[in-house]
Parts: sequence; C-alpha cells; structure tokens
Amino acid sequence: MISTEEFFNILLLVAAALIFARAFGYLFYKLKQPAVIGEIVAGIFLGGVVLFFFSGQQYTVSNYVFTFPRFDYFNGNEFKLLAEIGILFLLFISGLETSISKLKKTGKASTLVAIGGVIAPLLLGIFSGILLNFSMQESIVIGLILTATSVGVTARTLMDLHVLDTDVGATILGAAVIDDVIGILLLVFAMGLQSTVVNAVWVGVKIAIFFLIFLYLGLKIIDRILDLGEKIHLPKAFLSISLSILLIYSFFADGAGISGIVGAFIAGLLIGQNIRSKNISEDIKTIGYGFFIPIFFVWIGSRFWSESGTDISTYATIGIFAIVVIIVSIIGKILGSGLGAKLAGMSSAESLQVGIGMIPRMEVALIIVAAAISRGILVDPVAHQILVTTILLSIITTLITPFLIKATFKNVK
Amino acid sequence: MAKQNKLISDFYELKVNQIMDRRVWDLPIIEEKDDIHNVLSILGARNHIWVVKDKQTKELVGVITEHDVLSILAPKNLPSYVFGMPDIKSIQHGTAKTSGDIMTDKVVTCGPDDKIIGALNKMVKYNLRRLPVIKDNILVGELTLHQLIRKYYAATQYHPMVEDEEG
Repeated sequence: MISTEEFFNILLLVAAALIFARAFGYLFYKLKQPAVIGEIVAGIFLGGVVLFFFSGQQYTVSNYVFTFPRFDYFNGNEFKLLAEIGILFLLFISGLETSISKLKKTGKASTLVAIGGVIAPLLLGIFSGILLNFSMQESIVIGLILTATSVGVTARTLMDLHVLDTDVGATILGAAVIDDVIGILLLVFAMGLQSTVVNAVWVGVKIAIFFLIFLYLGLKIIDRILDLGEKIHLPKAFLSISLSILLIYSFFADGAGISGIVGAFIAGLLIGQNIRSKNISEDIKTIGYGFFIPIFFVWIGSRFWSESGTDISTYATIGIFAIVVIIVSIIGKILGSGLGAKLAGMSSAESLQVGIGMIPRMEVALIIVAAAISRGILVDPVAHQILVTTILLSIITTLITPFLIKATFKNVK
Repeated sequence: MAKQNKLISDFYELKVNQIMDRRVWDLPIIEEKDDIHNVLSILGARNHIWVVKDKQTKELVGVITEHDVLSILAPKNLPSYVFGMPDIKSIQHGTAKTSGDIMTDKVVTCGPDDKIIGALNKMVKYNLRRLPVIKDNILVGELTLHQLIRKYYAATQYHPMVEDEEG
C-alpha cells in the first residue's frame, strides 16, 4: 500500500508528465517532427530531473541542509500501471483504425515489401545480437524491434513530398501498415519461446485456443455484446462495454501466453469492423490520446536512466550497441524492402526509395521492448541496454528518414 | 394531449416502407469504381450519395456525404499523433480517385419492415438525417428525416397516417 502522501506525489508526477509531454510534443511539432518524439524526450528530461534532484538528495548551503522531496516514482508500479494501460490503448486504437477489408486490398508490391522488410531486419537483428554476446532470446527481441515501420512518420514525409499518389508512396504506406501487424503477431511466437520444450506444446495449444475463441467467435458475438451496450441507457455504457472487451481480451491473451498487447490489438481489430466503431473510436481516442498514451511515452523516455547507476561507461557501451543496431535497422530495411520492391517489378531507383521509406521505427518497437521487459524476457542490465537502444533507434531513424527520402526523390526528379 | 400521444405512438409503429422514398431511380447513386469527379458533380446538387457495387444489382457498399468531401477537399494535415492506418485521402495529394476511395463503408441501414421508432433511434444514435433502406443488401429506398417530419406533420393535420401507400 502506498501512503496518502505518496499517492498525491505520484499524482503530481503524472501531472508534470502530461504537461511536459504536451509542451515538448508541441515544440517538436513546431520543428516539423512527430510529437511522439517530443513526448519521449519529455520523459528523458523529466526522468533525469527526478533522478538527479528529486530522489532524496541533500544539499548543504553553508550550514543549512536542504532535502528535496522525493518524486522518484517512474520506477514504481503505480506509474508503470498507467503506462502499461497506455500501451493497451495504443494497440486498441491501432486495431480500431486498421481496416481488414483495406488490408485485403493491399497490393502484391506492398505485401512483398512488408515481408522482405520484416525478414531481413529480423535476421540481421538476431545475428548482430548473437555476435554482440546477447542470448538467443534477447537477440530475437532485438530482431523483433527492427521489424515494424512507423506508419505515421512515413506518411507525413510522403505527404510533404507530394508523392503519396505515386507507386512508391502507395507501396510504402501499404507495407508499413502490414509490417506493424506482422511485427505484433511475431511477438506471439517470441513470447512462446520463453518456455521450456515441454511447455512449448502447451503454450502452442493455448495460443490456438485463444485465436479460435477470441478471433473467430469474437467476430460472431461481438455484435450482440455491443447491441447490449446500446440498450443500456446510461451515459457512455457503450464505451464501458468496449473498454471491458479491451481489458478482457488483454487478460486472456496474457493468460494464453501471448502478451496482453496482442489481445488489445485483436479487440480493436474486431470492434473496428463493427458499424458502431464510429461512435467508440472518438471516445477511446479522447481517453487514450489525452491521458494514458502520453504517460506511456513519457514513462518510456524516463527509463532512459538506469536505476542502478549512471556512469559514463554504461552509456558508452549502450552507445556503441545502439550505433550497430541503428545501422542494421537501416541496412535491413533497404535490403529487405528494397528487394521486395524489386521482386514486385519496381526499378532500382524506386526500390531504393521504398527501402528508405520503410526505415522509421517508433511505436511498435517501443511496445515490443516494453512487453518483453514486463514479461521478464529481458532483465536488467540487458533490459536497460536494449530499451535505451530502442529509444535512440526510434528518435534517430525518425529524424533522418525525411532527409534520406527527400534526397532519393530529388535524384530521380 | 392524449390524442397527440396516440398520434405519435401510431407514428412510431409505422413501417419504414410506408414512408420511405421508393423511387430508387431518382436516388443519388454512384458505382464504387466511378471517378471522383462524378461524385463532386452529384454532390453539387445533392448532399449525399449511396455507393453501390454496380448500378444493375444496386448492392449497397457505402455512402458519401458532403462531410466526406470536405475532408478530401480541405488541405490535408496529418495529425502529429497517429496510430494505425492514417487517413491520407486527399484531392490535393491525388489519393482520392474513385468514389470507393472516399466512401464510408460502415453504413447504418434500416429494413423496409423496421418500425419508424427504430429508424428514429438510429438517426439519433448515429447523428444521421437519412437511412438507406436495404433488403438483402440491395438498396430499395431511402428514409429521410425530411420525409418523417412531413409525414408526422400531415398526420397532425388530420390526414390519415397511411394514405399513399402506392407511392
């Protein structure tokens, strides 16, 4: 149990997190960068301030001893709970906004680009993980982090360049949506890998049952459940039912050994197909975008600072590792997605554009890391290393891609 | 007062096909693969279009309203905070080419045998002014708020509730 004082201190930290998230988000928006980066940077900043000034330090000025109040709650379970709900909301919204019918219509080119862009970075990531002395499990997580392209960043860059209606633009965007889905689904298998061989079969069975019940039957009964929600004439009863579905799906997905976030995504996907999703979507976004999701990004940013210590050599090691991962992430997408584009019949120049367009990583990478840590697949100090690397990967790939894309389009035109 | 109550409850019990516009040939209809310019041309005069798979079978697949066109006509600003599939349909960027590109494919519909009270509830719930009337996925008519208002007002003026059933 937390004391009343702690409780209100946590609330103050939450308020600070929201304010800084929005302030930094707006700053980055003004710099024509995704607001998400601003929120992560806000987390790094706040995390640093808390660590260096508000974790019980004492200062002596002449004879007076100042003791700053403690606000080091980023590491606490309470803040983490809010952040993890943020992850569920993020995936739920992604699911809601993903239209299965549009996915089906995605062309052959996008599919090939997505598959190539998943396989090459995944293998390269695993390979470099092993070379750098990480365990097999850890290396798989490193590979997984590199699979999913951030649609938001790419879409905005293509829009700025006015190339959305070109083959390249359409292919990149389609592929970026597909590889998010593949990345999230691959996480299912990674989660299964934790267990021993005997358990593996059982986990397999549980996963099969989960998909059978919650995907197939879900499509059939969700309509009736939502019908029920419509009949309850209480304010926002419909929203409450949708939120319950989100939480119940996460619970059972976690129970099936798949990780709750996959459950959240599937719940979103199912409800998104329903006619009533128009009504739900806005309400869910209000809660998610307004509260839980910024908290998640700030929290992830705050994890930049290690609990055990902040000596330079730790960060130097991470820095070298991060450089390797970032290079691998770039080469992986250019090779894999580029090859996919080439196979789909695009020219070499176009294939290069597609490969570069697929470089940005963001939400899904951060989510996969957070899930792997909370599932215990990654433990400190490796967890911290990979997490910081992923933060750097997200920020750097997002910042450099617009320049790279612009450069390739300039050469062609 | 009691008479008013009786009137409105009778009105609620009417069937959709007793009020709906059955002149399907006169409804604004467009095929899914039709060019965006046809959409603009029709919407210059009407404020919505039903999108069908093809004009022969009239299988309803979507609806386009003025609001859908507003979102592709106005300059596109991708929100800085976007997860899942972003909405990139825009005339400016050349990404809205056919009516299928911009239609809403989740259409709230009603059946010819539904009661008016159900249709009214749907209109309130989803903030709509018109509903397509659907029989086995085929568009058979249209029910507008306009028609409902006219019908109810006529009934208050001592016109029989069901008169021109042949339309």
